[in-house]
Amino acid sequence: MSKLPTNGGGAIVRAIADVIVENRAYLSEVDGKIGDGDHGNNMAKGFARAKERISDDASLGEAMHIVADVLMGEIGGSMGPLYGMFFDDMASAADNREYLDKQAVGDMLEAGCQGVMAIGEAKPGDKTLLDTLVPAIEAFRACDQDLHEALKALKHGAEKGRDATTDMVAKVGRSSRLGERSRGVPDAGATSCCMILTAFADGAARRLV
Amino acid sequence: MSRRIRSADGERAASPPIPLRFGEDAVLWAAWLYYKEGLTQNEIAREMQISRPTVNAYLADARESGIVEISIAGDRMRSLSIAHQLSHHFGLDDCLVMPGASGERSLIDRLGDAGAQALVWHLRPGAGVGIGWGRTMLALANALPDDLDLADMRVVQATGGTTARIPYTPEACATRLAERLQARCIPISAPAILSSAQSRDLLLQEPVIAEQMAELGRLDIALFGASSLRQNSTVHSSGFFDNSLQRHQAYGSAVAALVGRFIDAHGEPLDGPLEPRTIGISLPDLKKVPTRILVAGGFDKVSAILATLRGGYATVLVTDAETAAGILNAEGIEPAPNRSQRRMASQGLDLSRAGKDVGTVKKFLNAPRDAVRESLEGALAAFPGHLRMLEGSVHSLAASRGTQDGKVGLVIGGGAGHEPCFLGYVGRGLADAVAVGNVFSAPPPDRILRCTRAANGGAGVLYIYGNYTGDVMNFDMAAEMASAEGIEVRTVLTTDDVASSPASDRDGRRGTAGNVFVFKIAGAACERRLPLAECERLARKANAACHTMGIALDPCSMPETRRPSFALPSGDIEIGVGIHGERGVERDGMMSADGMVDIVMDRLMEDSALKGGDTVAMLVNSLGATPTMELMILARRAAQRLAARDVKLHLSWVGHYCTSLDMTGASLSLLKLDQELTDLLEHSCDGFALRMP
Repeated sequence: MSKLPTNGGGAIVRAIADVIVENRAYLSEVDGKIGDGDHGNNMAKGFARAKERISDDASLGEAMHIVADVLMGEIGGSMGPLYGMFFDDMASAADNREYLDKQAVGDMLEAGCQGVMAIGEAKPGDKTLLDTLVPAIEAFRACDQDLHEALKALKHGAEKGRDATTDMVAKVGRSSRLGERSRGVPDAGATSCCMILTAFADGAARRLV
Repeated sequence: MSRRIRSADGERAASPPIPLRFGEDAVLWAAWLYYKEGLTQNEIAREMQISRPTVNAYLADARESGIVEISIAGDRMRSLSIAHQLSHHFGLDDCLVMPGASGERSLIDRLGDAGAQALVWHLRPGAGVGIGWGRTMLALANALPDDLDLADMRVVQATGGTTARIPYTPEACATRLAERLQARCIPISAPAILSSAQSRDLLLQEPVIAEQMAELGRLDIALFGASSLRQNSTVHSSGFFDNSLQRHQAYGSAVAALVGRFIDAHGEPLDGPLEPRTIGISLPDLKKVPTRILVAGGFDKVSAILATLRGGYATVLVTDAETAAGILNAEGIEPAPNRSQRRMASQGLDLSRAGKDVGTVKKFLNAPRDAVRESLEGALAAFPGHLRMLEGSVHSLAASRGTQDGKVGLVIGGGAGHEPCFLGYVGRGLADAVAVGNVFSAPPPDRILRCTRAANGGAGVLYIYGNYTGDVMNFDMAAEMASAEGIEVRTVLTTDDVASSPASDRDGRRGTAGNVFVFKIAGAACERRLPLAECERLARKANAACHTMGIALDPCSMPETRRPSFALPSGDIEIGVGIHGERGVERDGMMSADGMVDIVMDRLMEDSALKGGDTVAMLVNSLGATPTMELMILARRAAQRLAARDVKLHLSWVGHYCTSLDMTGASLSLLKLDQELTDLLEHSCDGFALRMP
């Protein structure tokens, strides 16, 4: 139970898509508090389209490349490029590997995170999806047990990160225009990122060998 | 003897005498006007001749110093309309909605207080009270007064126990409640979840446990919370259920846990593998308890509470106003406005008007998801002399006249929903191509790239678009791709909206209606065959000279949801709105058109440092639903203000130039002109939304 086969990783990505599609209304509701309320719709649109093109037996890298292409090429907005780069850089890290051990999963997540930071201007603390992603990866890396436990740590780190955005004031993106009025509501991107990481961790944990 | 307000900000000389009865106390006066006379903060500012922030500070002082004690009695609270709406809609016996409070106390503690209040209301001597577990339940028990003095009370633990290391176990909640009520405590001497169905059945045969369980059939009141199944919920964090939940497909549709049992979004019990291993009150038995008080709140619990209400498990709901509004929203009912409730409640007035059920906003749509595409197809059909489609994509449109050799190409774009922005500004003397995204969402890079190629006449391409994170990312990616194809691209971001950031952070401002001026001037510069660097300079100059501010009277609604993008009480306006249906920078009370123009003009004139002898162009823009007649009322006052400062109004545009779907509201833009900008502004152009001879 210490490594993740990349073969058949398509199922993990499809499960991520399902979670986003299911939470379409919830994400839009969260976004509506301080944004324009379409986060759920745009994300669901992208992930639903991507899912149609991914088969369960696609490799993890292939599936993530497809998600990236759809998000970047068809969705637009800020989430298209941000999540697009996230999945694209993760996919590249997973390409040409049969198995991902704990180190490699961490490196893959890290690559995705770097992709997000490279294209966006946000830093941790700005009330964005990075506030879920960064602490989640830190928790994953800090876990000194096996990959299975580290995936749990990833989820917990993501949840904590997402919850912490409630008390933050948005510094970038559209909600930053609201200043103090953005406080008291979790960030929609941080919320969807937590869903993505949770679904990934759950999906991956089931496939460990 | 005249009395003067003492204020810290030098307003003394201008302030009127305080009515004698308030002594020297301006804070008391302000509090009186606000809480007793029901004036808005603006009205108070006028009455006291002080600034609005000062009024706000006085009111905060009044609360802090104890001049104002906000106490809300349960009977009034219940009468609040939002509670009434919930009761009515879900057939509840009673509903207690705490006003949204900003105080220090945590939601859990406030819920505990309100839950205790509800319990006391329903308690009678000799009652049997069953209690679930969780943070809110423990807070409720702690919040009970210990001098109730009701005889012969029984408290029954509603579920088996746990060894989880949390302070709010079923045992702890029942014990504390019993202490507070001086009641007999009946625990369940068994775990909530057994390792197997067999051990549960064996345990239930034990006389002690059977007796305890029988008490659960004799309850008068059940107190319980609803745990959402989101990842941070008590169900997960308590370790109560271990990881069993995630492992079982049967719970895939679960949205809430009540007394250790799971229900789906419709409130239907889920018969999963945990069910035969659970000890505690069953959901059918719960429903037999005459008074069932659900105490739960928090944004993440909306769907859990909703499912519980749909399933009919509660007869009394205790929650907070935010959550209550979320529940109503989720059910498609518009909650009554928040602010007037708060004000009314504090004035001791009963406001129990029933909420109106609103359906969706009516729109001219076929399938909502096709709205953007169909509107673009319509534009192509209506304006063939102006627009043509690029490479079969209606989301990439170019001027019909085709690529102009040797001319700098101007590419604009952004999300849909701002029509006639941006496609109405494509044509001779304007932009060469426009990339269109989803509603309020930046276009992806390939559409922009297509436009870039079409606009490229060999002299480079200029991108101009509003300063939004998404647009910047997508246009930057397109610019990179274009430069890889050998097309030189320069970018100018429009940042005209003064409300979005202070003048010191000019580059951080967003682009709104003023970008039409920038498109016009840059388009003219390109049309005159000026080199790329010069076109870029002029576009930057136009943007720097342009200032905009918007006010919304009512929110817009997206095609896909057809619901208002935010709730705006009938007497309120949002000042400083952008063009994406978002809230403004601040909220104020409704006022006259002239009053609103004055707020906007004060900011615009200050930010653009207008002085006598200056010349400006003005744009009075509808955000969608506001008619031209009202725009002209705004134009009238704006012109008066300019004239009063001896500023020359060179040209005005009044109408729908850059909208936010069907938002009711308007924006004012001023473009400070010099000769160079004036020449370009007057240059002939021909877009379907902007034609100049």
